[in-house]
Amino acid sequence: MNRYQVNKVMRRVIQEPDCFQAFKEDAAAFLEKQNLTQQEREALIKVDYPTLYAAGVHPFLLNGFVNRVWTGDRGKLRTEYREKIAPFGYPDFST
Amino acid sequence: MAKLVEIIGITHNPFLPTLMKAPAPDPVIVQTAKDYDWMRQKMTKARPDVLIVVASDHLNQWFTDNMPAFMVGKAPSIEGPAPIEIRAFGLAPYKAKIDTDIAKGIITEGSRLGVDFAFSDECMIDHAFTVPLNFIRPEMDLPIVPIWTNVMAQPLPKAQRFYDVGQRIREAVEALPNGTRVGVVSSGHLAVEVGGPKSSDYSGDTEFDRRMMELITTGDAQTLIREATFERMVKAGNVTPGFLNYVLLMGIAGGAKPTATGLEFPEVTAAMHYMDWEIDGGGAA
Repeated sequence: MNRYQVNKVMRRVIQEPDCFQAFKEDAAAFLEKQNLTQQEREALIKVDYPTLYAAGVHPFLLNGFVNRVWTGDRGKLRTEYREKIAPFGYPDFST
Repeated sequence: MAKLVEIIGITHNPFLPTLMKAPAPDPVIVQTAKDYDWMRQKMTKARPDVLIVVASDHLNQWFTDNMPAFMVGKAPSIEGPAPIEIRAFGLAPYKAKIDTDIAKGIITEGSRLGVDFAFSDECMIDHAFTVPLNFIRPEMDLPIVPIWTNVMAQPLPKAQRFYDVGQRIREAVEALPNGTRVGVVSSGHLAVEVGGPKSSDYSGDTEFDRRMMELITTGDAQTLIREATFERMVKAGNVTPGFLNYVLLMGIAGGAKPTATGLEFPEVTAAMHYMDWEIDGGGAA
């Protein structure tokens, strides 16, 4: 996974209202235009945070991205997030 | 020459302003509000003409497409935080003029002294600046000189470099040819984890917090620099290197013991703390 490119896209979704809207309306179409691999696109579309975390994307941006786009039960999110990433420990998140 | 008059370090915890407004705040948060008001009064008493503000950027503005280690802002004015942070944390905005003469002086003198600061003519400040500034100078009546440090994107400068850059900032300020009174505000934090398995509503490593504040309180910069390795900081919490801004502050203070420090642990967020150096008796000089 290219951490820089994934960090860059997550940051745009967090910061830029147009990108957030585009991601929300049709994540696949939005991500098709970004410089990402299919594996990276799928992880972002599914908000597959364990895979993204394990790959070493920046945890600060991952936290912001997940909180921005999460559509499920937010009450459960925090606990489940910690539990699901715990097995991966502290991956190197340098770029 | 310009003159340093007061140096203050406090947290930039973005949840703090909202926690202080809660109907029944945690007792430690109540005490922090009093402590930070005391810091505000001390800075007021020191009668600064300008505030140098040393803080980080949470990948809001500087990113790894072009990441500066240490950067000085020299735009005519500056404001923040971005709307996304105002919405997420309920933060108050801050706006100030930049003292571009002092900013350029620090860049020029810094280069002579061995620190080639990056600089920006178009910049904004995030919560790392606006939270402490709203506590220390809510009047927004003083020009500032913003200095950003990279504590977010690896590889980071080491603790020794933060200390050395702090010393060079002091020397650069003292070499400036006018009698400007300069206050310094820095913001950082102790153990903090965001987006990692230890993310929590309280300090993830009270041992780290106590040890680092003990070393700051005794002015033991060399031991602190030896112990505050990247590995130790990240063990305390994955974004703990924001602590390094306090190491830079110790450098600005020239190794002196602080006049006052404080550390307390609320049950609702990371450790609350402050550190203050009065220079030559602060407002008395």
